[in-house]
Amino acid sequence: MATDPILKINNIEVKYHEVILVLKGVSIEIPDGGIVALLGANGAGKSTTLKSISGLLKHEDGAVTDGSIEFEGVRIDRKSAEEISKMGIVQVIEGRRVFEHLTVEENIKVGAHRREKGVSVKDKLDKVYHYFPRLKEKRNEVAGFVSGGEQQMTVVGRALMTNPKLMLLDEPSMGLAPMLIHEIFNIITQLHREENISILLVEQNAKLALNVAPHAYVMETGRIVMDDSSETLRENPDIKDFYLGMTDKGGRKSFRDVKHYKRRKRWLS
Amino acid sequence: MDLTLLLWAVANGVMVGSIYGLIALGWVLIYKCSGVLNLAMGELTLIGAYLCLTIYTFLIKIGHPLPFASALFLTLLACIVMGYLTERIFLDRLIGEPVLTVIMMTVGLMFVFRGLVGLIWSTDTRIFDPPVFSYDAFIVGGIIIERVYLWSMVAALSLWIIFYLFFKYTPWGLSMQATADDEMAALSLGISVRFVYSAAWIIAFMTAAVGGAFLGAKNGLNISVGELSLLVLPAVVLGGLNSVPGAIVGGIVIGVLQELSGFLLDPYFPGGVKDTAPYVFMVLFLLFKPYGLWGWVRIERV
Repeated sequence: MATDPILKINNIEVKYHEVILVLKGVSIEIPDGGIVALLGANGAGKSTTLKSISGLLKHEDGAVTDGSIEFEGVRIDRKSAEEISKMGIVQVIEGRRVFEHLTVEENIKVGAHRREKGVSVKDKLDKVYHYFPRLKEKRNEVAGFVSGGEQQMTVVGRALMTNPKLMLLDEPSMGLAPMLIHEIFNIITQLHREENISILLVEQNAKLALNVAPHAYVMETGRIVMDDSSETLRENPDIKDFYLGMTDKGGRKSFRDVKHYKRRKRWLS
Repeated sequence: MDLTLLLWAVANGVMVGSIYGLIALGWVLIYKCSGVLNLAMGELTLIGAYLCLTIYTFLIKIGHPLPFASALFLTLLACIVMGYLTERIFLDRLIGEPVLTVIMMTVGLMFVFRGLVGLIWSTDTRIFDPPVFSYDAFIVGGIIIERVYLWSMVAALSLWIIFYLFFKYTPWGLSMQATADDEMAALSLGISVRFVYSAAWIIAFMTAAVGGAFLGAKNGLNISVGELSLLVLPAVVLGGLNSVPGAIVGGIVIGVLQELSGFLLDPYFPGGVKDTAPYVFMVLFLLFKPYGLWGWVRIERV
């Protein structure tokens, strides 16, 4: 990579409650202004990786017990979620967690709780509405009652209000209709290009993620098992088999033939 | 039955109830933001009330023109410090610990505060001297309204409006509401949970102090004022534990209930009907509506 990475995870180990080892030897680099995808099955440790970056881990009684995380050259793995957010990292947590009892606009305004010089809340709000015109129509509705897609837009818009340099997106496509997923990913790539926000994208939908991100990491049971450019990964027989649902020859595959346990073993040794 | 007397009981109930509603508001805030049942609320009332009384007596001595209003204002300022310190010293370390631990901490605080009050101000009944409000009452449509009641309602009303504006239009208020809704999501946006918890305790101290000051101005001040503000429990159970408007309405209803039961039932069951009625009501109410009138049942989209 030519430029210095904006985020560098060096071989971290993460434990919950001081005993449960969930991540071991995870290293990830995100280039400045880049999009990186993180793929993996349920329970592989993707969300934990995001939480160790954003500092939310500490509120679930977890800690980075080895290795380090550097953001723009500064170590952040001991900092609090509040400090990390101040430095320009925002995590959009999994599951469309809107503030249900507030309106859409209030939800977005919560993201602007930190006052910055020279930028008014109004300007930032307009920026969010510029990227998510749909939210402007729904601005006065209670967020708990708008559609799933609109809730996802609300949480991304809300995160945008914190002026992030790096956005950690945790499964933005979860439980949404294909059309909506398409719309949301278009907006996300637009944000990436126009606002110059680096993105770490966690997805179960590997096909989508490999299309959006030029580089991807694959996680399994708490460690990184592959790390390559998306083109290479797309051609990898294992990725095709496990994540893209295709056979080596490129045809669609029947679930009857899947023998996960056999091939998975190769990565774990 | 005499209609005027009945109306008088209701009017008094509404006005006393507004004080309960105010204290209940402070209680609900702590519950909403941090999930902690604050059992020391009565003692916060005591501390605020005694502090206000001390400042009042001092201001009278130096001949200040607006002794009560100024004393109240200074007490509110002190509440900011006390609320912040209480949160920082006793509760901050317990963030992330099981809720039961934190509740036991509030039980501990209850006894510590009560002991401190006894130590500093002794256990004798103290009164605001000279009385804050003159005893000549207003008469509206044949109903006698005492000044102290009227002013407590005015105070409660103005604080409600201030808090409403605070929550609706300031970034701090929004942060508090957001944390109450979803703490993890609030954290992910960099909201300081410490700030939110401290703010909740500060507001609880403030509402308790104002409530206590007025209750004290009405009846004189001793440890039993702390027990009186335990009435927030039936009030918040009625309104739903996490509803701010519910707390206000609940407080008023409990006030009215107290006055009415005293007025209607005292002839038949002389003694403590007034004191027990709210709790009997709370038990019955819980049987039929455990979430209260406006308590949150999570929003589920269909």
